[in-house]
Amino acid sequence: MIKTAQDMKSYKKKIRQALGDSFLRSALDEFNTAYRENRPNVYKDIDFNSLRDIIAENKDSLIPFLEVLFEEFRLNAQKAGAIVHRAKDARQANEIIARIAKENKVKKIIKSKSMTAEETFLNDYLEKQGFIVTETDLGEWIIQLKHEGPSHMVMPAIHLSRYQVGELFEKQTDLKVDAQNIDKLVKVARRELRPRFLEADMGITGANFAIADSGTLGMVTNEGNMRLTTTLPRVHVALVGFDKLVSDLGSALRILKLLPRNATGQAITSYVTWIKGANQSLNTPFGKKEMHVVFLDNGRLSLSKDPLFCTSLRCIRCGACANVCPIYSKVGGHRYGHVYIGAIGLILTLFFHGKDNDRAIVRNCINCQACKEVCPVSIDLPHLIKKTYARVIKEEGKTPVKNFLLAKVMKNRKLFHFILRSAYLAQQPLSKGRPLIRHLPAFLEKDHGFRSLPTIAKIPLRDLWQTLSPKLENPSLRIALFAGCAMDFIYPDHGKDLLKLLKKANIQVDFPLDQTCCGLPAMMAAEEKTAKELAVKNIQAFEAESYDYILTLCASCASHLTHNYEKIFREAKEPAMDLKLFTDKIIDFSSFMDRVYKFPQTDQNMNKQVTYHAPCHLCRGLHVTDEPRALIQKAGYTYVPSKDEDVCCGFGGSYSVDFPEISSEILKKKLDNVEASGADILVTDCPGCVMQLSGGLDKRQSHIKVLHLVELLANKK
Amino acid sequence: MEKKNLIQIMTEKAVAVGTIVHEISSVSDALQYAVDLNKEKNLKTLACPGLDSEDQDRLLDLCNSANLDLLEEPLRNQASSIDTSLTWVNYGIADTGTLMLASDSEEIRIATMLAKIHIAMLPVSKIRLDTGSIEAALNDILKKDSASYTAFITGPSRTADIERVLAIGVHGPVELHLLLIKDMQP
Repeated sequence: MIKTAQDMKSYKKKIRQALGDSFLRSALDEFNTAYRENRPNVYKDIDFNSLRDIIAENKDSLIPFLEVLFEEFRLNAQKAGAIVHRAKDARQANEIIARIAKENKVKKIIKSKSMTAEETFLNDYLEKQGFIVTETDLGEWIIQLKHEGPSHMVMPAIHLSRYQVGELFEKQTDLKVDAQNIDKLVKVARRELRPRFLEADMGITGANFAIADSGTLGMVTNEGNMRLTTTLPRVHVALVGFDKLVSDLGSALRILKLLPRNATGQAITSYVTWIKGANQSLNTPFGKKEMHVVFLDNGRLSLSKDPLFCTSLRCIRCGACANVCPIYSKVGGHRYGHVYIGAIGLILTLFFHGKDNDRAIVRNCINCQACKEVCPVSIDLPHLIKKTYARVIKEEGKTPVKNFLLAKVMKNRKLFHFILRSAYLAQQPLSKGRPLIRHLPAFLEKDHGFRSLPTIAKIPLRDLWQTLSPKLENPSLRIALFAGCAMDFIYPDHGKDLLKLLKKANIQVDFPLDQTCCGLPAMMAAEEKTAKELAVKNIQAFEAESYDYILTLCASCASHLTHNYEKIFREAKEPAMDLKLFTDKIIDFSSFMDRVYKFPQTDQNMNKQVTYHAPCHLCRGLHVTDEPRALIQKAGYTYVPSKDEDVCCGFGGSYSVDFPEISSEILKKKLDNVEASGADILVTDCPGCVMQLSGGLDKRQSHIKVLHLVELLANKK
Repeated sequence: MEKKNLIQIMTEKAVAVGTIVHEISSVSDALQYAVDLNKEKNLKTLACPGLDSEDQDRLLDLCNSANLDLLEEPLRNQASSIDTSLTWVNYGIADTGTLMLASDSEEIRIATMLAKIHIAMLPVSKIRLDTGSIEAALNDILKKDSASYTAFITGPSRTADIERVLAIGVHGPVELHLLLIKDMQP
């Protein structure tokens, strides 16, 4: 039985246990890297992005009509002898299936893999009713023997080593098993399960597609157990979510192009099976199988009417959102979902299994956008996770302290900035005059001591501005700087470097003083009202029409201003004045320097090797990837790639404070890769990443210097 | 020219997923292949549901002289003792190396699911480029009011459920052989 942590304290305990599981850690870390490295090869003949948009659009056009599709499916399937049921919730689905079993005098049941059956806890129910249920998918059988839920939607036993599997098999068979040899373990399953197929009275499956215009089920599998499950027993029951309905075969075949590629890197699975109606079965009196299809609602139909969350019904259960998630790769599926695992699991858990099971896990998203990038149906997963968190808070009916404080402080720019200024004084005993705090007070050091922390600058950039930025006569361009809190209060020197560069090109830069935090931290805490108020303030602070560009050196701010402001006002159904004028002018530093400034190629050789960290919100948020690497080389440095450059550094704003144990592990892998590159300098173009990376390297006492790209470019000559 | 290319693509993609592919010139060669393979692997039984009676008779003769057991239908009662199955498949889908097999008959299903080795015969004229090019044919099957069971088969049964290590032959056939028959007309 699955027990998901329902409060942060027990959740943290489970996370710490997972982080201590060395097999899990190395297996999932390797998987994360291997999966991403294999993707270009898997998609070399297919345009992933355009196909996924077509599929998403097609799904969106069907979601409002799931009940119509269901009726069409039912009529067509019944003509071919199937009996079609609908279940409003998990309990009803289980009852229907148990009733079918009783009516057919079933004793033994075999199952092929079905996440929908996991969702309803069907096995538990059937076993309580006295049926003998055997899972036949290898991974599912393993976790059934271990009495666990799946830890991945496609590879349910990925958290277990061959030796753990060997132990389970020895216990099951009473025979010595050679656990070193995976082929032999697999043959144990073949041998043990073959008789179960032959003895079973009923087979239960899920389905990947329910095709309305023919009443056909489509199933995508590899092992061959589903084929046996649907052939040998005299009764077949398929349990299918309403979201699996598609209008026609063409829609299913289109999804089939992406599903196996995205799930397991296969162009197609070993078996794809199209089953319609009651097929021939020579062990029944009438020569035909008893065939039932049970459609599960369990909240799907009301989700289909939700303007925002309806997109979660596009999900085709490929599991890729877990595969690429840096957090999943640290903590594993049992800490990253309830029944459904990965980013989509953090969302669906609320709707299928209630707020208690989602309360803790839904907070564990760093917003790195890796899942969104690989989702084969273009679900905006990171955004929906935050919206889910907002719903959880709303359903709980009490505001978390963090949100209360965020709202209080952030909405009042002067108060917020006063607190930041005061922090400069408060930190003096700890920083001892250095720009980094290496040791925190003992009670904080244990959890948060994995990186040195930057100090707040004595004079923020906004105060320096008047003396730094003279008015230029006839400037070539007029730029407004969106500083972001980090540059303003921690890294004002980045602002000085920027001015140095821009003055050379006769570019006028202004600093609108009423600007405040972009609002991303509020949005990450699901503090939606505050996020919106900050957006309004910033749009008002910048008189966008007076500028050619609004430049920011923070990738997170850039991405938030560009994409999220639009979402905030759209979802609030409040058109914001000047929103488009504002967002259209936002530009990130790398794009600006490369495309607008046209930073020249130097003849100088700087004789230094530079590696790069791609900030999540730049490479995925804004799809800026070539520019920063080109700029490094134009400035006369040798760019040396490091492994997993585009994987999150583990910062994620307050994520690193809320989940320091995970943040530090993500950072560790990042820095190991950076050190292995042999670089002298690590460059990135987001002050948040600079903070995390330099804090981590300082703690390691590494010789590698961390620079914001602006520092590298400004100090070239 | 295009046909040649399709055969090449079909062969290349099928081999890439572990299918053993041969081009042969007649059904007789296929029957002989099945018998020889069984002998070579030291296997005992063959099943050949869906072959026409003339071919079944020829295979029976070959089996008798090779001391092999050609299983009689219904196969359900002999489910545990099918070593090799020899069947036709309806289409080849070249760009994934996939075979399409209409398996409404329980005999065909049992033979192709439970055998250790499945040998599939496909006239080269039935190779199509991709799933899009068999969509209409498949839809014709699915749109009928009668029940149907249609399989896409791509390579042998496989799993990576333990430590993501690929292992072949977990529940279905351990080997899939594809015999491309050159001189067959549609």
